[in-house]
Amino acid sequence: MTTRPFYVPVDHEEAVFKAACRQGLSVVLKGPTGCGKTRFVEAMAHDLDRPLVTVSCHDDLTAADLVGRFLLQDGETRWVDGPLTRAVKEGAICYLDEVVEARQDTTVVIHPLADHRRQLPIDRLGVVLDAAPGFCLVVSYNPGYQSVLKDLKDSTRQRMVAIELGFPPPDIEEKVVLHEAGVEPEVAAQLVQLGQAIRRLEVAGLREVASTRVLIAAGRLVTEGVASRVAARAAIAGPLTDDPGVSAGLAEMIDAYLADGPDGPDGDDEGG
Amino acid sequence: MDRLRLLASAIAGRTLEVAATDDDGRAWTDGATVFVDADAGPGEQARMVAVQASLVAAGSLEPDVVRQLVRRPGVARRYLAVEGHRALALNGTFLPQSCRGIVDNDVAGLATEVAQSLAVARGRLVLDDPPMAFGEIRPRQVLAAADRTERSTSMGAAGHDARSAVGPEPEEYDDADPRHLGHLLSSPVGGGGVLGRLLRRMFDATRTPGGDGPPGAGTRAHTGRPRSGRGIGVTREAPSASLDAIASLQPRAATYPEWDTHRHRYRPDWCTVHERAPDEFAPIVLPDGLALRRPLARLGTAFERVHRQRQGDEIDIDAAVEARVEALAGSPPEEAVYIESRRHRRDLAVLLLLDVSGSAGEPGPFGRTVHEHQRDAAIALTTALHDLGDRVALYAFNSQGRRAVHVVRLKGFDDRLDRRVVGRLGGLVPAAYTRLGAAIRHGAAVLETRGGTSRRLLVVLSDGFAYDHGYEGTYGEADARRALAEARRRGLGCLCLSIGAATDPAALRRVFGPAAHATVPSPDLLPGLVGPLFHAALRRVS
Repeated sequence: MTTRPFYVPVDHEEAVFKAACRQGLSVVLKGPTGCGKTRFVEAMAHDLDRPLVTVSCHDDLTAADLVGRFLLQDGETRWVDGPLTRAVKEGAICYLDEVVEARQDTTVVIHPLADHRRQLPIDRLGVVLDAAPGFCLVVSYNPGYQSVLKDLKDSTRQRMVAIELGFPPPDIEEKVVLHEAGVEPEVAAQLVQLGQAIRRLEVAGLREVASTRVLIAAGRLVTEGVASRVAARAAIAGPLTDDPGVSAGLAEMIDAYLADGPDGPDGDDEGG
Repeated sequence: MDRLRLLASAIAGRTLEVAATDDDGRAWTDGATVFVDADAGPGEQARMVAVQASLVAAGSLEPDVVRQLVRRPGVARRYLAVEGHRALALNGTFLPQSCRGIVDNDVAGLATEVAQSLAVARGRLVLDDPPMAFGEIRPRQVLAAADRTERSTSMGAAGHDARSAVGPEPEEYDDADPRHLGHLLSSPVGGGGVLGRLLRRMFDATRTPGGDGPPGAGTRAHTGRPRSGRGIGVTREAPSASLDAIASLQPRAATYPEWDTHRHRYRPDWCTVHERAPDEFAPIVLPDGLALRRPLARLGTAFERVHRQRQGDEIDIDAAVEARVEALAGSPPEEAVYIESRRHRRDLAVLLLLDVSGSAGEPGPFGRTVHEHQRDAAIALTTALHDLGDRVALYAFNSQGRRAVHVVRLKGFDDRLDRRVVGRLGGLVPAAYTRLGAAIRHGAAVLETRGGTSRRLLVVLSDGFAYDHGYEGTYGEADARRALAEARRRGLGCLCLSIGAATDPAALRRVFGPAAHATVPSPDLLPGLVGPLFHAALRRVS
């Protein structure tokens, strides 16, 4: 038995997810990029002891990519199952990450699976598969990204139980950064504080806010011996903006919130 | 100093500017801008900013409190000594660790709210002077700034006319009256600070094409109650004839909210947008739209599945079975047995919004006005997109206060592109102001309801100078930015083009935010840029 992927619950999300899964209900996870949606599903699959099939959806993903297709072999056609069909047969948790990125025709296969029928019609084979016990359909989307509200139709949404995930509160986020990056508690606390401060900004030029993921990335650089301010510039400020003015502002924030490294002077005392 | 803006805003939880203080080096804030000593060390500056921003966050500088500190420097100093610690302690979560050392929790514990700090300050308790990093409180400047905010708000609330209802009290700083401008620029508030720059910019950029009018001299679209005592500035009516006509028509009107960045919330139904078809025509020479066709041709396509192809992602089962049968029958098999996904169906609706405010009437560096440049670009883009089979609409906008945002329909999505469209475009005369946010919201709503395709793009042609009554500086910029963000969130691509305008790039960034935007010196350069720009704008939503 492998170890459980690290996930710290913030609210009732674990109980809701497990209950939904046991009841054969489908789940939609909402939350910003890098807040832990994928990790949450991994931890749940582990707790429920189900295999996990993850599909990262993109704008070229068709229903055939999910269900399967015919290939030609030795002059004959041969059917090959897609990931969704495999999950349906195995009774696995099928996680469609960023589902709204997928093309519209995928809803045709998602709908009968997501509601009480729990069936996967494969028209090219002329069969309808009943989902094996334990099968659970989980989709995620990032409401900030918008192709979403437009594409995730009401008829799809209605078939799902929604779990909203946000960035965790500071104390939990510190634990996460501490565990994932393996940094000193002090560094984790400072990184999280920086992240919280950046999330308070309403500034032009920021594509997204500082996610838990980028905080962890900065922490991992620190673990490798990179000074924390340098790490934060590379892993937090860099990905967020290309604007020189905003970069300079973020650099000031990094200098204010992060200590200068294990041995460096803590700030500057020349003025005081 | 600009570099500290983000830090200040993060700690305060709202947008703050940072500027250099002019005198003795003590930091202070008027509630909108933090002034710090430019010569202090970087860590020291950060600490000063942290203290001032925390005071803003904790509500320590609310006018009701600060009013009681006017002309009482001793109480003000003692108030700061208590309230500074309280504000810092309260803001602990967002306070950088390097600043935590200056918090005295014993002093912070003396008060749990602003009123208690004030009571302690007035009392007899022996207090240490506030540390150097706390700077000082300048009650008059705080009140003057609050007053300005209030004024610009109420100006909008009562329509643009309210401005002239304000009495001519000499000690008040009236943003809009040019007679006070010299006074303002030399006052301690205006100084070299953000406000001063802002006012100068307003003064520079809102002159109407007549050239000699002061910035307040615009036009009175409706409710023209002339007031006495306000001088020539307000009642001059030069380029307003067409606007009066617009107002009198009272055509389709729609209301939109506006983002109030100072209060961090929307003002519901704040702006009224009047849409109409224009009635003035003037011929113009049509610019050549051909050069734009090529870069635009590659955009706006959607997938289509093509059967019986020689290559593709999927097998076309019918074709494959036939091929197999043919092969078994001994005839040469057909090799085209795949389904290919190709992008080749046009699926794009574009709405062009043309800024026809007074500032666009200013001549650019090469003699032609910004308006002429933008007009040429607008019609060139319209014809090119139309010829390519896209759905395209062209609207123009300007404003006279929040209740009179005018949007002129030059070509609706379902209108024919003909001489009348060109004539209407030629008949436009730049005038009045730019309430960008409301125009963008209206354009987005039209695009959303009448665009009719899955990929939609809003193109704003503007010098990026967001200015109207009660819509100045950071307020207008934040609202325009917000309106663009709303449109993107609803799945509309946004592209902002400044053509031939001399607007400061930093100001454009503030207005257009993360939306795709570009400053193009002349429409001739557009063909080289338009492809990547359209692509970037569409990619950001899809």
